[in-house]
Amino acid sequence: MNAKIFSIAASGLVAALAAGAPKVVANPGALPLPAPGTYRLDRIQAVPFSVVKEGGGAFPHLLSRYTTGKITLLTFFYSYCRDPNGCPLAWTAFEEVRRQIKDDPALHGKVRLVFFSFDPAHDTPASLRLFTEAYNNGRVATPWFFLTAWNGWMMRRTLARFGQDIAVERSGADDIVINHMLKVFLIDGDGWVREIYSSGFLNAEAILGDIRTLRIEQADGREK
Amino acid sequence: MKRHHLRALLLAASLSAIAPNFSFADETCNSPFMASLIKGQEKYLQVWTLGVKGMGDESDKLVTIDVDPASPHYGKVINSLSVGGRGEAHHMGFTDDRKYLWAGRLDDGKIFVFDVGTDPAKPKLVRTISNISEETGLVGPHTFYALPGRMLVQALSNSKDHGGETGLVLYSNDGKMLSVHMMPTDKGGDGYGYDIGINPNKNALLTSSFTGWNNYMMDLGKLVKDPEAMKHFGATMVMWNLKSMEPAQIFKVPGAPLEIRWSLNPGADYAFTATALTSKIWLISKDDQGNWVAKDVATVGDPDKIPLPVDISISADAKHLWVDTFMDGKARLFDISDPEHPQQVYEKVIGSQVNMVSESWDGKRVYFTTSLLSRWDKTGADDEQFLKAYDWDGKQLVEKFEVDFYKEKLGRAHHMKFTGEAPNKT
Repeated sequence: MNAKIFSIAASGLVAALAAGAPKVVANPGALPLPAPGTYRLDRIQAVPFSVVKEGGGAFPHLLSRYTTGKITLLTFFYSYCRDPNGCPLAWTAFEEVRRQIKDDPALHGKVRLVFFSFDPAHDTPASLRLFTEAYNNGRVATPWFFLTAWNGWMMRRTLARFGQDIAVERSGADDIVINHMLKVFLIDGDGWVREIYSSGFLNAEAILGDIRTLRIEQADGREK
Repeated sequence: MKRHHLRALLLAASLSAIAPNFSFADETCNSPFMASLIKGQEKYLQVWTLGVKGMGDESDKLVTIDVDPASPHYGKVINSLSVGGRGEAHHMGFTDDRKYLWAGRLDDGKIFVFDVGTDPAKPKLVRTISNISEETGLVGPHTFYALPGRMLVQALSNSKDHGGETGLVLYSNDGKMLSVHMMPTDKGGDGYGYDIGINPNKNALLTSSFTGWNNYMMDLGKLVKDPEAMKHFGATMVMWNLKSMEPAQIFKVPGAPLEIRWSLNPGADYAFTATALTSKIWLISKDDQGNWVAKDVATVGDPDKIPLPVDISISADAKHLWVDTFMDGKARLFDISDPEHPQQVYEKVIGSQVNMVSESWDGKRVYFTTSLLSRWDKTGADDEQFLKAYDWDGKQLVEKFEVDFYKEKLGRAHHMKFTGEAPNKT
């Protein structure tokens, strides 16, 4: 399979996964989300040191390359995940965030998206590169990076420091499902995790509000 | 999926060191942000226990009881982890990954963090937070409620006057204090706090209100004869905007509304509480105009006799609500299929006193413990301290076993949490 064909296949897979995912919309009757900049996002934890491989990259990089300088939305995934409340939900949310950023020039170039695979055996740099190509075709306002850890030890360390749990469930002699509690990390330009979303509270409107809150905070220099 | 079999096996091997216990089973009152609810048979019951002077090692302790009927140790205490001293052990809560159990003491304010994920049969104390008062000015960490990567802690009092004005404290999962959010004292707020209940889909955080250190550390007999002290109980609930952590609405709910239980049905937007002093069940829901309202919807026992409703437990399908009343030692079951009109359908005396109730996800097993507060528990022969396990067959509670905490020289049995099997045994 050449890169172009795989790229199309990857896009198709993602579209299929996203189509099966719950809609990521604000819930009717919910208390209204506060206006950006009117509330505080705590500095929950620092992004841990890690060494990663980027899709197609020949050399390892520090994770901080992908988590500082801009506001970062990061989640862990594996490309064959089909739990509708797991990776597909994150795909949908990231797609929607990216779409809304496209309509807001003030956020162009200010935000990056990161999908970090915890299955380097399957999601090799070569296959991740195809996702990268499929999702960064041409000039984009919000680049989307597809990474995985440099090695198994670094993977375990990274997941533990992020507080991202996984579990391997054997559902039959031939089937294994990798369960993980969906967590999406919002990271400020200094590499601090400022919000963590789970499937219970993951909608684009809330994420965009938090991103704009961090932008306002940055402009005001309140946390500097 | 099969084509990923080998790779998945390799991944399983490489990541097994960090894989948590994802066995399934559970109670109905945990944070909605918590992973791996137990929807089958719980394996162990962790009981946060108050030490008693002159009994055993006299220390507060986490007691682990095997509750798996298939186990040869069924109904037996299999572990006891003393934390040192007596500081009014009270409630506990899991972190979002269910690997750690935070347990608080209302008197000295210490918070103990137990690792219950590595080996639930033998929890380990991994962290003690001793400075909540110094860091926040608050006293009495009561409710421990998981948010993604964080723990939200409801305190009961403050270090300034040990009264009821208090607040919420947000910690990271590794024990770093992040922020303090004081209970409102304006626009009808009375500043008291007690329980936390979150409905993520509604961006709603609901809190209730009890009393401060001056009262909960006072002898109950003395307290009820002190008219001035009896004025200092909470009479409100607060609906917070979860995202902003700002109070959005304050409800008048007289008589110390305690535990909060949201309906767990998908899309549901109502919660229950019970008021300790007025013996009522209250419903917090939306009216026809979409506004949040609090309504008195049922009476528990005879309020004139002050049965003192304490813990409540809602069934997973939101059709039933267990209500314990401390003074008469009864467990009462209400049919809440119509949330506006709960009807009592069953009652049973559990003991001379009863406080906490925990039910399995399927509602078939119900556990009770006895201690309310060390200075509020009954005295003499009425000071029974036990865990009792029952099966609920849909018509009656059938006792399965009892652990006498005094006979075992453990202390006063208080809050319970379920855990599953150890990861390396699944």
